[in-house]
Amino acid sequence: MFGFLRQSLALSTANLRSLPRRAWISLSMVLSVTLVVLVLLGFLAMANGFRKTLSSTGADNVALVLSRGAFSEALSRIETQQAHLVEEAPGLVRTDDGTPLISRELVVPVDAVALDSNKNETLSLRGIDQTGLTLRPRVQISDGRMMTPGTAEIVVGARLASRYRNLAVGDTITFGRSQWTVVGHFTAGGSVFESELLADAGLVQAQFNRPNQIQSLRVQLSDAARFEQFRAYVEDELDMGLAAQTEKAFYAAQASDISRIILFLGWPLAIVMAFGAAVGAMTTMYSSVSDRMIEIATVRALGFSRSAAFVATLVEALVLTLIGCAIGVALAWIGLDGWSASTKGGANAQLAFQLALSWPQAVSAVVLALAIGAVGGGLPALRATRVPLRAAMTGRA
Amino acid sequence: MTPVSYDIELTNVCKSYPLGKSRIPIFDDLTMSIPDGDFLAIMGPSGSGKSTILNLIGGIDTVDKGHVSIGGTMLDKMSTRALTRWRSEVIGFVFQFYNLMPMLSAAQNVELPLLLTDLSASERRERVHTILDIVGLSDRHDHLPSLLSGGQQQRVGIARAIASDPRILLCDEPTGDLDRKSADEILDLLQLLNTKLGKTIIMVTHDESSTRVAKRTVFLDKGRFVSEEIAQCA
Repeated sequence: MFGFLRQSLALSTANLRSLPRRAWISLSMVLSVTLVVLVLLGFLAMANGFRKTLSSTGADNVALVLSRGAFSEALSRIETQQAHLVEEAPGLVRTDDGTPLISRELVVPVDAVALDSNKNETLSLRGIDQTGLTLRPRVQISDGRMMTPGTAEIVVGARLASRYRNLAVGDTITFGRSQWTVVGHFTAGGSVFESELLADAGLVQAQFNRPNQIQSLRVQLSDAARFEQFRAYVEDELDMGLAAQTEKAFYAAQASDISRIILFLGWPLAIVMAFGAAVGAMTTMYSSVSDRMIEIATVRALGFSRSAAFVATLVEALVLTLIGCAIGVALAWIGLDGWSASTKGGANAQLAFQLALSWPQAVSAVVLALAIGAVGGGLPALRATRVPLRAAMTGRA
Repeated sequence: MTPVSYDIELTNVCKSYPLGKSRIPIFDDLTMSIPDGDFLAIMGPSGSGKSTILNLIGGIDTVDKGHVSIGGTMLDKMSTRALTRWRSEVIGFVFQFYNLMPMLSAAQNVELPLLLTDLSASERRERVHTILDIVGLSDRHDHLPSLLSGGQQQRVGIARAIASDPRILLCDEPTGDLDRKSADEILDLLQLLNTKLGKTIIMVTHDESSTRVAKRTVFLDKGRFVSEEIAQCA
């Protein structure tokens, strides 16, 4: 056993030291693996970043009421009468005068000019009641001030503020036929709310000609444990075509759906590319075996085992792919982690998020790289075991 | 304990190589004996089968028919694994183009066959030192092959061949790539290994003057021995 390890180690060392002789083709193998790893990590970081953004949004003790069957606020319609009935539900936090903490909200798609592309993009302008801010305790004004209810003022999420024209504090911006003044920027703990513009719900209804239109109700529960009671009341007792879920569950479901779509695209693409890289690796390693044929035949003639020749070739393939992987992971971490991106969220509005890499994703990349190395190196390693020993007699080392 | 004699016997050996759908015959019923301790030079034109004899004796090629026996061990009956192990213990190879690992130092090249033994690292180091001393390269331990002359590289090749103390050295044109002076030094070294250390040496060569160090020289043509010369002072 030790003899085999000693042989394998000696041959592997000799192989790796001979890499400069095959520098360019080895480099091409390293770079192809780097590319595969970068693409894979790009998708994984996107899915992870998106999931992080959405999963950091919402609370267990805030319920979101939509019309039944609507999976996004844009598709939901709630009548004023229905909203009044929800106010009577059990388990709600109420003020001293018995008023429940409920925010009637609607989201209107508005256009703004992106600074980088100079093109119109759709953003979400969310109309909220005054209680809407109470229900979003993570919303903090980072610049300027909070909007004044009943006025055409907006506050802008931090992720949008620097990316669109006329969203600086003090700017006025026209949405449709209405003019709005930007009075502040806010952060919300990295949550999805940072991709929205907030305004007074009544003003949004009036300015966009949507009188009394409500898309969602945000409700503060006295305790997360009361949600089931609240849901039973809204869905079963009232039975008016409404559905309730916790705010956290709502965003988690959205995160899951879109992450799945990203991964559904990302993994197959990475695997197809990995297949190409494995074929490239195989070519490189066949070339390596060919280049080392005399050396392999010589050590085999000296008495080195076939398995040592196999291991040494496989080790070379795995080392090259791991170098490619390490470069890919490093580049991804430097270039992609924390990189801002955006995608279409609800109502086709821009939803900004940051790409986020994690160690488990790096491990996935390493596993993929090892698979490329194993597939790309396996057959050439077999060939190394079958190098005719007569080659030692005929060739020039 | 009686020392084992490593007499070499090739009996009724047939060997051919495939060429497309046909086969090119090399030997047809070749029989020869090489006694332990012999220094045999084999001469003959290209394609006469000189190197094939080395390959068959070294166990890196197999006979189609017949037997190769060394010290009573029938090579054609051994498994690949057993043959590989046997070769590492009994045979040393000296190649025309040295076949050194270009990325390993002289000492590391010589150490290669010792990795197949049970020697410890310090024992291996000591053995390498001694052998490089024997071949006159004690001051070239850490030199890469590319920094050595052809003659020096062949000395490293010979040092590697004798590192694990094999009984038989198979030399394929060991001076074929060297100038006259270096070739003479290598031949003298081989003669020393034969006379002082008792190694059996079988040397294939095109160079008639190289045969001066051999005890016997046989001439091979089309797979048959056509003549034999025995050195007078052998």
